[in-house]
Amino acid sequence: MFSRLRTRLTVLYAALFGASLLLLSAALYGVITGHAVREVGDQLTASATVFNRIWAMRSQQMQEGADLLSRDFGFREAVASKDAATIRSALDNLAGRLGADRAFIVGMDGQVASADGKPVSRTAAKVLGQLDQDQDASGVFTLDGAPYQAISAPILSPTLTGWVVFANKLDRSEMGSLERLSSIPLRAQVAYQAAPGSWRVPVGESEGVDAGKLSAFVDTELATGKVRARHLATAAGASIALVTPLKTLSTSAPAVLVLRYPMSLALEPYRVLLEAAAGVGLLGFAFLLAGSWALARSVTRPITALADAVGRLQRGESAEVEVNTRDEIGHLASSFNAMASEIRAREAKITHLAMHDPETDLPNRRSLEERIVPMADAAEGRLAVVALGVDRFAHVRGAIGFALAAALIGEIGDRLRLLHPAYPLARLSTDVVGLAFIAKDAQSAQRMAVRLLAELEAPLSLGDNTIDVSLTVGLALQGEHDDVVASIVERATIALDQARAARLKTTVFDAGLYGDPASNLSLMSEMLAGLDQGQMLLHHQPKLDLRAGKVTGVEVLIRWRHPGRGLIVPDRFIPMAEETGHIGALTEWVLARALEEQALIRHHGHDLTMSVNLSGRLLGDAGFAAVALEMMRGAPGKLVFEITETAVIDNPAIALKTIDRFKAAGIGISIDDYGTGLSSLAYLKQIQADELKIDKAFVLKIDESHRDALLVRSTVDLAHSLGLTVTAEGVETATALSLLAGMGCDVAQGYLIARPMPLKELLMFLGEEGAGRRLSA
Amino acid sequence: MRNLLFAVLVALVAPCARAADLQVQVHDAKGRPVRDAVVTYYPQGGGPSEPFRFEWPYRMAQQNLQFDPFVLVVPAGATVAFPNRDTVRHQVYSFSPAHPFELKLYGRDETRTVKFDRVGVIALGCNIHDSMVAFIKVVDTPFAAKTDAQGQVLLHGAPPGAGTLRIWHPYLKARGNELSEEVSLPQGGVFRRAETADIRSPPVRRNAY
Repeated sequence: MFSRLRTRLTVLYAALFGASLLLLSAALYGVITGHAVREVGDQLTASATVFNRIWAMRSQQMQEGADLLSRDFGFREAVASKDAATIRSALDNLAGRLGADRAFIVGMDGQVASADGKPVSRTAAKVLGQLDQDQDASGVFTLDGAPYQAISAPILSPTLTGWVVFANKLDRSEMGSLERLSSIPLRAQVAYQAAPGSWRVPVGESEGVDAGKLSAFVDTELATGKVRARHLATAAGASIALVTPLKTLSTSAPAVLVLRYPMSLALEPYRVLLEAAAGVGLLGFAFLLAGSWALARSVTRPITALADAVGRLQRGESAEVEVNTRDEIGHLASSFNAMASEIRAREAKITHLAMHDPETDLPNRRSLEERIVPMADAAEGRLAVVALGVDRFAHVRGAIGFALAAALIGEIGDRLRLLHPAYPLARLSTDVVGLAFIAKDAQSAQRMAVRLLAELEAPLSLGDNTIDVSLTVGLALQGEHDDVVASIVERATIALDQARAARLKTTVFDAGLYGDPASNLSLMSEMLAGLDQGQMLLHHQPKLDLRAGKVTGVEVLIRWRHPGRGLIVPDRFIPMAEETGHIGALTEWVLARALEEQALIRHHGHDLTMSVNLSGRLLGDAGFAAVALEMMRGAPGKLVFEITETAVIDNPAIALKTIDRFKAAGIGISIDDYGTGLSSLAYLKQIQADELKIDKAFVLKIDESHRDALLVRSTVDLAHSLGLTVTAEGVETATALSLLAGMGCDVAQGYLIARPMPLKELLMFLGEEGAGRRLSA
Repeated sequence: MRNLLFAVLVALVAPCARAADLQVQVHDAKGRPVRDAVVTYYPQGGGPSEPFRFEWPYRMAQQNLQFDPFVLVVPAGATVAFPNRDTVRHQVYSFSPAHPFELKLYGRDETRTVKFDRVGVIALGCNIHDSMVAFIKVVDTPFAAKTDAQGQVLLHGAPPGAGTLRIWHPYLKARGNELSEEVSLPQGGVFRRAETADIRSPPVRRNAY
């Protein structure tokens, strides 16, 4: 409800003050009312005393008259002689003289005779009849629902023969004249007891006072025995009432004097005070409301400002808060400002870090990828990205240290920035700096790449050293349907790799050479699916035993006939399978298939040694070794694992143990592609191989290059001296074959002998060979 | 002593039936003796036929603005003297139905007489002095007397046997201000009765003005 602090504070203060104001008002009203009641009560009591006094005087006056009459000899004689006419006239006479309304004669027998001859009601007669000489018989007397002030005088002649009674009606005008004696305009009424618990005022004088309420009030007041003014609720509003017992003619018919004074009149003198108090209270309340609102505002305004600032900070906008107080909120605001500026600084740093290379402070790859987006699809030309790679960076870094190597890259970046301030640049990886520009066409882009090479390959001085920098440049241009502009950067780096692989200074990205990395991943899953669906098949390249002069084995090569892409060369998926760990599954399949086909070939009467390529990576895989050995069990033919050098053997100890297990199982071990890459003498030292395959790089030009021939010859000799048979790969000419044979090479493999072929063709080839076609050196 | 002598005389006169003495003690409701109560006794057979008179004078004097005595018992037919012994004049009257009368103003050392033939109570007043009140009880039995200050009365020589004992007082709360009781007197001796009479206070005389 009061979700706002300001409202809550205001309401709280207002409620507190209002409550205390109410309490104060209640107390004030109580005190004033009490005082008024007491004041009026005193007045009423005084008035009651005056009334009693007046009544006593009137009674006495009437009493005197009555006494005079009752002692009048003539009257007494008339009474004694029961001279009714005389009695009545005498009564009338005196009643008129005294101003009494009614006069009665009451006999000793209780008989009542009215002076005016009117009948007297039985109740009244009973009361009159109770007159006794013991009583001081005067007081209020009710006749026909109207109270009278009555006195009685005994008629002594000389003994008591009866009473003469004079009664003065206490009507409105009579009471009014009494009321006027009081200093306050009170209301005086005589209430008589009509029945126990039922008090009545004269007919027509109820004045809004409920009979039941009056009865209860009178009874309560009489019961307390104290004459005290009290509240009496009437239809015309609250009033202060005082009940005084009145002397009555007969105790059996009590009557009281009820003096009433309206509460409103009683409070009238205090009205100004009350109004002033209420006014001051309300004014104070208004002031407090306004004051607490203002206070709350002054408290909450800085908080609101802070909240707004927090919102701005959240949105990354400037979030400075004005500090204009020195209180807690002021401290909070200044702390907030400090925090906000720190956050912004940190944010800027993080943003900078996200977009820059911490080592060189050059923009990073992500920065370049973002910055080239607006450059894409430029009207003046195509977006081009060059990746400038420092050649042999690892060696350079090893020579000059990490710090200087980073400085070197930084220097190249600085140069680029200096030369081409308009083009965004970035450090794409440790040794690669990228630059993006707009080229008119592919030719101008390539010219730019060459120009960059020229500009940057000047010697750099770093500290005391002068370093010659050799660079390779990969170039990628925005294609026609390049969805992702950022991928141009990636393609530039790939082009760089391609250039390095091709030992070129610059290369434009060749999509044909490099598959889309995204599609490469799907290629792997397709490869696994292809294994199950029979898309893979084996080709066999015969190996000619030069000594026996016949084909004694084949190298098993995998082929993938993709339903959509057609035949996919192993170069496309074997390295990828090695990288992604799928080579094991692939090799298992090849092995199983090779064994099946070996059996088939054997069935056709040819016993061939099956050579299966085995990635050096798999030598560390104990699981694969177990599976291979299991497959080999019971296989009749001979099997050779040609260990390729595509990957570094991670753990030579495990690899050698695996090799020993293979050898123990009768599997021949061949060192493939000897002479290039990683196949070195170290292999020969470590691996207890059976065969050495000389890489085709040495064999292809053996008939032209004397040097190659020397290398092959010495290798053959080396192998033989180590007890290995030698296989030459890439034998394509008869000259080469004869040279190899002359060098003592044991086995030849190459297009001269046969291309890799499917099983069916191999069987035919073997059949032809068996039928007499004999190749000879 | 005189009473005793009288009792002896009565005993000598009536030797055939031994008369009894009737002693009555009257108290009010609070046990205080009541004076001026008139005790009368009516034998069942009727009283003596010959006229009788009481030993006290038949006189209602006015002295010190008071009647004296307050209560006077006289037989029917007695003439009562009303001597004025005050220096002021009095006007004695009675409205009592038994014998209404009025003695016009008369002065010091003057005496008026009134003969009361009818049995009853005559309330006396003075028209000049309201405080003067007295009563004359006219009886038709010789066995009558008023109580003394001790509330005692002794009636001599009442014939034994059944009779009616009556006690009258001007302020007695009873019908006709009189109590009545049937008693049976023994042969000779003293018959004692203690009676309780509820006496109201006399009417207040307001002389304050």
